[in-house]
Amino acid sequence: MAARTALRRALRPLRSAIIPSEQQLHLARPFSTTLPSRAANPSSSSSSSSTPEYAIPNPARPTHFGFETVTEGEKRERVAGVFTSVAESYDRMNDLMSFGWHRIWKDHFVASLNPGFSPLTSDTDPRGPQHILDIAGGTGDIAFRMLHTAHVLNANPSVRVTMSDINRAMLTVGKQRSAELPASQQAALSFVEANAEDLTRTRPLHPYPSPAEPTTHDAHTHKPEQAFFDPATATGSIPDASVDLYTVAFGIRNFSNIPAALREAHRVLKPGGVFACLEFSKADKHPLFNSLYKEWSFRAIPLIGQLVAADRDSYQYLVESIERFPSQTEFRDMIVDAGFVVAGEGYEDLTGGVAAIHKGMKPRA
Amino acid sequence: MTRPAATAPVLTRSIATSPNRPTSRRKYQRYNALQTRPRCSHQPRLSAISRRRYHSHDHPAPAGPFTPAEAALLSAAYHHVPSHGFTPESLALGARDAGLLDISPSILRDGAFSLIRWHLHTQRASLAGKAEKLAAAEKDKPMTVAEKVEALTWERLKGNVEAGIVGRWQEALAIMAQPSYVPTSVKELAQLADEIVYLAGDVSVDPSWYTKRASLSAIYAAAELFQTTDQSPEFRETRAFLRRRLDEASQAGGAMRSIGEWIGFNAGAAVNVLRSKGVRI
Ligand SMILES: C[S@@+](CC[C@H](N)C(=O)[O-])C[C@H]1O[C@@H](n2cnc3c(N)ncnc32)[C@H](O)[C@@H]1O
Repeated sequence: MAARTALRRALRPLRSAIIPSEQQLHLARPFSTTLPSRAANPSSSSSSSSTPEYAIPNPARPTHFGFETVTEGEKRERVAGVFTSVAESYDRMNDLMSFGWHRIWKDHFVASLNPGFSPLTSDTDPRGPQHILDIAGGTGDIAFRMLHTAHVLNANPSVRVTMSDINRAMLTVGKQRSAELPASQQAALSFVEANAEDLTRTRPLHPYPSPAEPTTHDAHTHKPEQAFFDPATATGSIPDASVDLYTVAFGIRNFSNIPAALREAHRVLKPGGVFACLEFSKADKHPLFNSLYKEWSFRAIPLIGQLVAADRDSYQYLVESIERFPSQTEFRDMIVDAGFVVAGEGYEDLTGGVAAIHKGMKPRA
Repeated sequence: MTRPAATAPVLTRSIATSPNRPTSRRKYQRYNALQTRPRCSHQPRLSAISRRRYHSHDHPAPAGPFTPAEAALLSAAYHHVPSHGFTPESLALGARDAGLLDISPSILRDGAFSLIRWHLHTQRASLAGKAEKLAAAEKDKPMTVAEKVEALTWERLKGNVEAGIVGRWQEALAIMAQPSYVPTSVKELAQLADEIVYLAGDVSVDPSWYTKRASLSAIYAAAELFQTTDQSPEFRETRAFLRRRLDEASQAGGAMRSIGEWIGFNAGAAVNVLRSKGVRI
């Protein structure tokens, strides 16, 4: 509690510069959350590596925090702050942003992936049991649905799910919620702290607030405990070609460096593995609907955030980050640039484009 | 997979400019077995309707063309259709054959229906080659346009036999009759009629063109349905059925009867599918 208040207080002066106005609503914003390619100096191309420079996380490089420009490092901390402060009111927030649609979107997302499905043959998959990595897993909405579909609907209890998030507070709530799952599903579920932009440095979940470390009530005498994962404390890594299905739902727009995250997704997936992303998107194919939705999100949601959670700034950030995120086709192109192949258009609009599902497959080398 | 070092400027462009860039068009070059050729300019455009209630109305599934990834998954899965049908099993088995994973076909937006589209598209695409063979055989004994229409329609029906999917086609019709897939299915059927009429050398551009095409669509659909229950050697009865219907089509009402039968069957199939999914109707 005290930590959240402190974080909020820390955020407030930074955020107060942003007041939603007509002007901002109508600004053309063709750029994505992350502008790595613009920030990176193309002439100073790094060594002989095939990795573009913008795809390497750099805490000092400018990126966006809502409509502000901050460094990647700052954004990471501030995103952590936002999600620490909304961790508990989180479900309510999702309902507000999507008019309750997010549950249906999530159901559809998971059903369309059909995890754990296996052809009815005598021989099991020679490549071993399916491993699903749910990135930015938050409080577990996607991971739990995956387990249910795989274990119950597809009767395939060998499927394992790893739930990962940069924010221990969110992941801790997820772990608490998982206590209500059947024991077999709990046994197939693990929790990992990691920054999606660098999955070579991870550690198992250390609950937040940590029972061992000083509690946040001692904030006056001790440094407050960090909610977000510090890569310096890493003890593990997600190996190359170890994942069948990589999912990220309502997470990727918060990443400081989206190309780096896509590159990591490509690295950890097996050949034939699938990248699947559910995210708020652009409804601008329907102008009237779009303007109503924008009015709602820019005016009503921060206000409701203020009233419901006494946290206008965090909700304001969430609205702005949605606005900043690239269009369906731009994001599809980023997925292809990271080395994935797509089917059809590579994406599917939900509810007129308020959200979209993007999928890509890692081809065989 | 290593990416070319030139990725960075491409991305810069892809973020900064409009969606219709040449780079992205090159990337999305589709596998399309049908070459573009001049044809009647007044083909009606069937508007797409939403695939599921909560989906956008403006994103029709690409009817014919497939990306290379789709083509790889679907062509491998197609070999399993004779034994496993137009099903997720066939898709997963095909993915394994192609050295991919059980999860790989989940990138296909329409699942098993994508496999049906693949069948319809590749069969239609192969008609041009069959038309050439017919033309070669025709040298000594020229055929009328009507005879060619019949011969090509029969070739298309034989395609079902050669692909080994006749026993699976009723299941496929049930999938095609699902509301979200009807527009694409109907469009495919219309395109098949176009193709046959075009390959038969009918170049008339007059009001009867629509009628001819609609009649042929209906007759083809009825004959294909007949084929699924035909036990006669070499599907002789299907061939006789096709002949009769094409003859009748010249008389008023013949085509309408075929359409009626086809709709009747598909409505029945749709009800059965919905019932099997627990919908009480
Ligand atoms: C809106 S929540 C989504 C949670 C869940 N996937 C869902 O759909 O309900 C976004 C999550 O992204 C996480 N996140 C933000 N930046 C991240 C990063 N760089 N790496 C991993 N997770 C991140 C946040 O901590 C937060 O839990």
